[in-house]
Amino acid sequence: MPNNIIKTIDLTKIYENKKVAVDHLNLEVEEGEILGFLGPNGSGKTTTFLMLLGLSVPTSGTAKVGGKDVVKESREVRKVIGALPEFAGFYDDMTARQNLEYIGALNELPRAECRSRAGEYLGIVGLAESADMKVGKFSRGMRQRLGIAQALMKKPSILLLDEPTIGVDPQGTKELRELIMRLNREQHLTIILASHLLNEVQKVCSKVAIIRNGKLVATGTIDELTAGLRTAEGIRLDLRLDKVKPELLRALREVPGVLSVEPNANELTVVSEPAAVAEVSQAITSHGGTILMMKPYEPTLEEIFMKYYQNGPTQEA
Amino acid sequence: MSSTLTVFRKELADLFVNKRFILLFAMILLLSTASAYQGANYLKSSSSTSTNFMAIFSQGANGSSFVSLMVTFGPLLGLALSFDAINKERKSGTLSTLLAQPIFRDSIINGKFLAGAVGLTLAIVVTLGVNMGIAIPLLGFGPTSTEALAIVALIAVTIIYLCFWYGLGMLFSVYCRETSTSILASVATWIVFSILIFIFASFASNVAVSAVSFNPSENFNFTGGNFPGNFTGGPGFNSSMFTTPTSVTESRSMIASTISSISPAYLYSDIASRLTGAVSSSFTGFSVSIPRFTGQQYNLYTALAGSWAEIAVIAMAMVVCFIASYMLFLRSEIRPAA
Repeated sequence: MPNNIIKTIDLTKIYENKKVAVDHLNLEVEEGEILGFLGPNGSGKTTTFLMLLGLSVPTSGTAKVGGKDVVKESREVRKVIGALPEFAGFYDDMTARQNLEYIGALNELPRAECRSRAGEYLGIVGLAESADMKVGKFSRGMRQRLGIAQALMKKPSILLLDEPTIGVDPQGTKELRELIMRLNREQHLTIILASHLLNEVQKVCSKVAIIRNGKLVATGTIDELTAGLRTAEGIRLDLRLDKVKPELLRALREVPGVLSVEPNANELTVVSEPAAVAEVSQAITSHGGTILMMKPYEPTLEEIFMKYYQNGPTQEA
Repeated sequence: MSSTLTVFRKELADLFVNKRFILLFAMILLLSTASAYQGANYLKSSSSTSTNFMAIFSQGANGSSFVSLMVTFGPLLGLALSFDAINKERKSGTLSTLLAQPIFRDSIINGKFLAGAVGLTLAIVVTLGVNMGIAIPLLGFGPTSTEALAIVALIAVTIIYLCFWYGLGMLFSVYCRETSTSILASVATWIVFSILIFIFASFASNVAVSAVSFNPSENFNFTGGNFPGNFTGGPGFNSSMFTTPTSVTESRSMIASTISSISPAYLYSDIASRLTGAVSSSFTGFSVSIPRFTGQQYNLYTALAGSWAEIAVIAMAMVVCFIASYMLFLRSEIRPAA
């Protein structure tokens, strides 16, 4: 029985201008997992986060965080959720340490505890040396790291990260990614990572949820979503041969179960039913071809995303 | 309450390094100190009954004084502190960061208002303290106990007056998403209530009670005589009677006063005039006139009794501004950045 630390039931948000930001969202997040919350800009990711934080009241539906209702017990919910907003705001004329101590004070931590935690988390996010620098002088990457430190000040059990690597350089992105995985591993934090950078999500997340126009169109592990695609399209084989002859192409197309054959110089992409893989191999060798490389195609998260996003099957894997 | 105090402490600390606040406060302090010096010299040189210590707050060089400065620049001090109190936080993203903490939303606005009120109170107390520190050695006497109470009353009224403007700025900062819009709204309101209202009141009163429309037949007995046109004056008539009659001036003054009284600046000016023992409404707008003392025995009770309604109006306006800001802020939705 999975322990769902976050559960939304038909969560819906319609703004005053009638824009449906989130549409009957049913999302479950298990304790200790890193969920990639995927969707293009304007798909409802941030609004979902705001509702989970109790900062935006749902039009209908419910959401519970740690068993607590986000509307009726929003203050209690905010005690266990650390959030990094999309554009993390800080007081530029205060130092990083002062900003964190202020956040600690708002969480009713004693002054000594504020100081101690500020120092600890600045160290964790790699800002120990910039602790007494004014935030106005921080780079985008430093601000994002400070944002994570800010979210950690209350020692949350859940971390909501909204586009944490936006505007951050590749090195900074890599460091943030490692930090997120380390926090999950060492502090057992449940993390929801909202992003439209699929490569980043693929590297970090154990599970993904894809949202489109406020609707959840797919959720599951990357393997589950990949399997869904395999079932739909058959297995794709990427082959590299010594040479590709026209008669070989004809022979391959005649193999029962082969759905398509696409040549590209000495490479072939064959989509077939799973049972036909052995016959494909045999057809190549029987026509004098030498297989230099053969690997089953693994769709990238980008392809999975585009598939679900464009076709929009409302389903759960 | 704890988070309100946390916000209050942070906002108060910010206030003392706020360049706008420092600049305006320094300007008011310097000008009012110079005015107090002038006022003290005026009292010293005056051979009349002017031993009214309160005169130092209303009598200064070129008509400027603590009261006239507060009437004109006090609103700017209040507005400058609050016009971007909320929308700046919203724009910079700090509001989302704050609200993501386990605090009640009202603690932000309460903390900010409290810090503003304390900051303005300190500014007023320091200014008046410096004014008195300059005046007492020059005069050789200090305020009597009644005058000391009047000073306390003046401080209280000035705090309420400045807090009204602070609250109004706060309201603009909650209502307007852009700081540029809220600063424009603040400046426009200040211009309307501190300058335009008096011009309009004067214009409206002149139009409403025109000297030309004055009907002589209701005031004079006309039985004939020679006068250009059809008009024939009666016995004892002479053309000098066509200067604006006193009743017209009074009517105009009453209309102008009624229209002006929608301006908190006018109301404050009226109250402060009474509290300092000066002629009522001497400080309105930029056309500040030198206050004239009535020469009557100063009576704080009378001054307060005559001002309570105006004090109540300013206090009500302050409360309305605060409640409106409070309600708007609590009901405002945090939305994703566009």
